[in-house]
Amino acid sequence: MDGAVSRARALAIVLVALWACGPGTPRPGDLRGVALAAPWAKPDFVLTDTDGAAFDFRAATAGTVTMLFFGFTECPDICPVQLANLAAALDKQPGEVARAVRVVFVTTDPERDTPERVRSWLNGFSRDFVGLVGPIDSVNAIQQRIGLAPAVRIPLEDDDYTIGHAAQIVAYTADERAHVVYPSGVRQDDWAHDLPLLVRGQWGARP
Amino acid sequence: MTFTWWCSALDEPWSWAWQAYPGVWVVVALLAGGYVWAARRAPDREPLTMRHLGPFGLGMLALWAVLDWPVGPLGAGYLASVHTAQYLVLALVVPGLLLAGTPPWMLRRVLGSGRRLRVVRVCTRPILAFAFFNVVMAGTHIPAVVDALKVSQLGSFAIDLCWFLAGFAFWLPVMAPLPELDPPRLPGRIVFALANVFLPTVPASFLTFAEYPIYAVYELAPRVTALSAVEDQQIAGLTMKIGGGIIIFTTASALFFRWYRAHSAEESTALQVPSTSS
Repeated sequence: MDGAVSRARALAIVLVALWACGPGTPRPGDLRGVALAAPWAKPDFVLTDTDGAAFDFRAATAGTVTMLFFGFTECPDICPVQLANLAAALDKQPGEVARAVRVVFVTTDPERDTPERVRSWLNGFSRDFVGLVGPIDSVNAIQQRIGLAPAVRIPLEDDDYTIGHAAQIVAYTADERAHVVYPSGVRQDDWAHDLPLLVRGQWGARP
Repeated sequence: MTFTWWCSALDEPWSWAWQAYPGVWVVVALLAGGYVWAARRAPDREPLTMRHLGPFGLGMLALWAVLDWPVGPLGAGYLASVHTAQYLVLALVVPGLLLAGTPPWMLRRVLGSGRRLRVVRVCTRPILAFAFFNVVMAGTHIPAVVDALKVSQLGSFAIDLCWFLAGFAFWLPVMAPLPELDPPRLPGRIVFALANVFLPTVPASFLTFAEYPIYAVYELAPRVTALSAVEDQQIAGLTMKIGGGIIIFTTASALFFRWYRAHSAEESTALQVPSTSS
């Protein structure tokens, strides 16, 4: 009798485990981005877009897969490579995937990055990318609220400066949370793998 | 200023500020110095002429140009297209020019008559030379190999050295500078040259037709030009295929016409023999 109970318990555990790993169960480890230990809530903030209009991030991106990235247009390496790789991968996605992804770029260098400059720079990657500007204190507060390090101004020679900033692209899914981030070094092939899963909400699905 | 001895991929934006690569200068100086040293000991009846000095000088110039700034660092860590152009020059241009600029007496002194000569004779047998050239060519274009080696100076140097040595493995049977190396006859040399056209088509095709960049080192490097990583890669593939094809087909054509002339001369001699004897 005891043996039958034990077998029934074992079977129940296996079934629960199979169910937990079954289709549709989010398991960020299946994605090629870096899985977060606990999901990050989508932040609620309003900044100005490159047309000069107010952009309510949470409302405007509700129910979509949204890639949020903080950087600056004079960034010589990480920002252009990150955005170029994301843009190239999106460009090769089927329409339903590409249309379902919004990319929002927030400048961490509002002193030099005017809305026109941000627009012109983003157009080099995609005209669909949203560019946002706002006071650096507000931008840093948003970053800290999300869980990212705030941007830091680093003086260079001849009164010039550069900006140290978080290099991750934060991926918010339709559940209004981020389960995964994409640090510097993510490749186009990685994006091509993850984007459809993020859009279809199938990340974590067993084949 | 960063001081490095050999060009490798750097995790920093490209700069047009000049960089010193003393390792490249040492290699070029050793080769050029060795040539001058050997030339001063030329046999009286075989002084070096422009027929040798010209190709050798061009070869040295090409070697220096593809290894030193700016081509060296661009190919090592920024542009796949420059990387494949370096491959073509280092493997298919420089060794041929250096061999053309080295007179047989000098080459005999370099190879000696003992074990070194025997090793070179074995290594330049067409089958082994074909295998060596193509294994090096294929191996040094595998993404994992490129991404692992190009980020260190030693690794980058190893790839350049492999290309250079593989180039000699290709050109020694083709140019047949010394009879004691047992080179194949002209038809065999033509077949050998043409056989080396086909395998490079594989990496060239991957580069040209891949949907996404295949080398992380070039994909993640800060952009130098307006070209995207994929466009740069496509140019790399076409450079490898078309550039390599032109060099090898030109070489095979030159060998063919040499064989044709020699064959025609033999036939006309054979035709003349009966008329003079009758």
